[in-house]
Amino acid sequence: MGMKVGVPKETAAGERRVALTPETAGRIQKLGYDLQIESGAGDAANFSDDVYREAGVEVLPDAAAIWSGSDIVMKVQQPSMAEAAMVKEGSSLISFIWPAQNEDLVATLKDRKPHAVLAMDQVPRISRAQKLDALSSMANIAGYRAVVEAANNFGRFFTGQVTAAGKVPPAKVLVIGAGVAGLAAIGAARSMGAIVRSFDIRPEVAEQIESMGAEFLFLDFEDSDGGGTEGGYAKPSSPEFRAKQLELFEAQAPDIDIVITTALIPGRPAPELWTEKMVRAMKPGSVVVDLAAEQGGNCALTVKGERIVTDNDVVVVGYTDMASRMAAQSSQLYGTNLRHLLDDLTPEKDGQPNVNMEDVVIRGCTVVKDGEITFPPPPVSTSVAPKAVAPKKVEETAEEKAAREAAELKKAGSRTTMLLVVGAALLLALGTVAPASFMQHFIVFVLSCFVGFYVIWNVAHSLHTPLMAITNAVSSIIIVGALLQISSPNTTVMVLAALSVLMASINIFGGFLVTRRMLAMFQKS
Amino acid sequence: MSIGLTTAAYVVAAILFILALGGLSNQEKAKRAIWYGIIGMTLAVVATVASPGVTNQPVIIAMIVIGGALGWLVAKKVQMTQMPELVAGFHSLVGLAAVFIGINAHLEMERALAAVADGTTGELAGFAATIAKKSSVELGILKVELFLGILIGAITFTGSIIAYGKLAGKISSNALTLPGRHMLNLAAFAACFILGFLYLQGAGLWTMILVAIIAGLIGVHLIMAIGGADMPVVVSMLNSYSGWAAAAIGFTLGNDLLIVTGALVGASGAILSYIMCKGMNRSFASVILGGWGGDAGGPQQEVEGEMVPTNVDTVVQQLEDADSVIFVPGYGLAVAQAQGAVSELTKRLRDKGKEVRFAIHPVAGRLPGHMNVLLAEAKVPYDFVLEMEEINDDFPSTDFVMILGANDIVNPSAQDDPNSPIAGMPVLEVWKAKNVVISKRGQGRGYSGVENPLFFKDNSRMLYGDAKDSLDAILKQLS
Repeated sequence: MGMKVGVPKETAAGERRVALTPETAGRIQKLGYDLQIESGAGDAANFSDDVYREAGVEVLPDAAAIWSGSDIVMKVQQPSMAEAAMVKEGSSLISFIWPAQNEDLVATLKDRKPHAVLAMDQVPRISRAQKLDALSSMANIAGYRAVVEAANNFGRFFTGQVTAAGKVPPAKVLVIGAGVAGLAAIGAARSMGAIVRSFDIRPEVAEQIESMGAEFLFLDFEDSDGGGTEGGYAKPSSPEFRAKQLELFEAQAPDIDIVITTALIPGRPAPELWTEKMVRAMKPGSVVVDLAAEQGGNCALTVKGERIVTDNDVVVVGYTDMASRMAAQSSQLYGTNLRHLLDDLTPEKDGQPNVNMEDVVIRGCTVVKDGEITFPPPPVSTSVAPKAVAPKKVEETAEEKAAREAAELKKAGSRTTMLLVVGAALLLALGTVAPASFMQHFIVFVLSCFVGFYVIWNVAHSLHTPLMAITNAVSSIIIVGALLQISSPNTTVMVLAALSVLMASINIFGGFLVTRRMLAMFQKS
Repeated sequence: MSIGLTTAAYVVAAILFILALGGLSNQEKAKRAIWYGIIGMTLAVVATVASPGVTNQPVIIAMIVIGGALGWLVAKKVQMTQMPELVAGFHSLVGLAAVFIGINAHLEMERALAAVADGTTGELAGFAATIAKKSSVELGILKVELFLGILIGAITFTGSIIAYGKLAGKISSNALTLPGRHMLNLAAFAACFILGFLYLQGAGLWTMILVAIIAGLIGVHLIMAIGGADMPVVVSMLNSYSGWAAAAIGFTLGNDLLIVTGALVGASGAILSYIMCKGMNRSFASVILGGWGGDAGGPQQEVEGEMVPTNVDTVVQQLEDADSVIFVPGYGLAVAQAQGAVSELTKRLRDKGKEVRFAIHPVAGRLPGHMNVLLAEAKVPYDFVLEMEEINDDFPSTDFVMILGANDIVNPSAQDDPNSPIAGMPVLEVWKAKNVVISKRGQGRGYSGVENPLFFKDNSRMLYGDAKDSLDAILKQLS
């Protein structure tokens, strides 16, 4: 009998997402769990109760029934205090928790004596955990939506056009912070035709920015590793670095139509990167979309959750529910993240979760376990790769490469010359002692070696086994030698020759037949 | 048939052989090319039998019929997985025939010389008649050729038998390392050459028989000292030797067709050995003399992390989610006989519209091109079975890579760790793919004995168990 997994309707104002979709339901049932959902939980994301019923999910009338009747409760937003008070003893809760910012909530949850509380925001940033990294999947949606909101508030095209009614310049977009959200925003803005520039304090992401089609704004700074990373996220930068950075942005401000800021440092208020002065410098009609609004905003003028218009007609969008604004999509991705977590929790697929604290990923997510607060987890290094100093391969420049290749060619050329000279000398030496009859055969031999050399190099690699089989058959040409000897009156010679003919025949027939069998098998699709 | 006509037939046969080998440049041409080989061989045999001085036709026909029947039987019954041992076994026959023909040549030479002494050369026919006309220098050269033919032939004979035994699993495929084995080989070769010198000085048949025996022992010892995964080099080398033996006999008999064909085969085998050695980044000498190229100096990099196991359900899920899949087969696939299962899996995945391909490393398996033949047998179309150079750049854009019984050929330390014994060996860069699953029996190391850091990477998962059982289980679950 599998445990019951329940999904209540989200209670936070404006939250449209739901932790379970009909598609993820099917997958979770395969893990052995029984599912139940509060009536109307999926309405805002366009999943009706009926669709859930069809997927085999039991629909319960109210939240209380879900909280009291489920062994595992899955949510999107962190539980309210009222919800936390409903957590059943011995049950588990999976949702966003933000334990560092919500100590009270964690304490309340702990007092309810749950089996385990798993925070989707605490998934370690390691490759293996990517499939359950809800922050990334939500950030991706937020980045996309940020561009949609920007376009909605921007009175012009993104793409440049030359029309009969005149030329339209493309919009210029600046994306600050090239994490998951930033890169998604770059991609979306690029595909709408805008010119995109991007900045990040981690110089190593320049390649990713460029791969998305944006221009990386390079900051000329001695210790350009001003930010660097910590657990895969950016960390605070030095004051000198910050000054340089603001200088760079100020230079950009008059030129830019749209700014999308995504800079977050975990566990701290968002850094202020787009000052009031920069907003003032922007053209009327420009748009700032601040994805860091929840943590105080990267833009000085951001009002959390609001869209405001400044005196100089710049729109500053501070919505904090970007992902929720695309509820069907975000529910689907978040649901899949949850499903992957359940997958990891249920290796036996028997509907019994196993909160294995040895597993780095599960350990990282778990904030309360058996009445104990287990946050923060011991540090995990993102790169488990060998730490030993692997000598960095020095990338050679085009000229160096050309020079090296020329040198190699020259070397190969002089080696060939050497071989030819030595070979010719040997042949001459042989010619002085060997009789003419031998030299005649020898010419044939040498030429055949060359022919063989050129012919065999052209053989396809995939046909090397048939090549061996056929050369094997062909080498039985030795039968000719035996045939020439078999007429000898000497009985020993005759018998040995006859045996040789026998063996060579086995080889001829066997070799050719087997080659044919093999070649017949090679088929085109 | 006149001598002129026979020679003409030989020329045609030689050209046909060249065309037969040249035709293997692509799969479709190859099906036609094999007929060139068959026709060439028929022509050569018929022309020889019909040439003046060849009698005893009933014996010839009987031997060809019996031999042909045996060859036909073997070729029909053999499994494609047994291909390596079959090829090795066939080589031994050519080697032994070369030894016999060499000994015969000596006997005929004695007879011819006796006839010259008696003044009855007119009664001689065939090979003996040609010998009778030779000068003493020519006879000296003949003796050298004869010696070489017997030496190479005997090494090929016993070496191939051992290779056959190892490939068929009848002899342990571990490398046998006797103390002072290089000295043993050297001494044996020296003995052979001393005997050859004595023979040139007029010593009798016994020297040649001794050479055959000692060379046979060299063959045994040489191949016994070579481990399983080096077999591709060994089999190609023996292939080459069987050609050189034929060419040497051709010189002895003054027969150009034998020389041409022997040289073709010899060159072919030599090139294959070279390609195999390059595939392992080792010198021919280090393979043949056994053992990995010694210490590269300095300690190898420590591998950190753990091998994370996965299960069939997860793999099925990953396969369902993936758009592009690459399979990397190795010798383990042949051992597990899993080619049918992987073919079926390929078909199903392709029916779902996924891109499925195979990546073949030059030294995967126990024979050059072994994996290609195995997959062809299982009806995997050859146009998505790709070589290392063709596919190596595609790994970063691949969602899912499954490694089936391969190890060293996907070892990243060949590129990352200059102190690794396999440093510099070209490898398939599978670790650049998004997900890698390694189907493997246990946690053991590959042939080279080198730890494989691939297994410890974040995107790698181990699927323990027999490759065929795993694939069958995946097939069952895949909708």
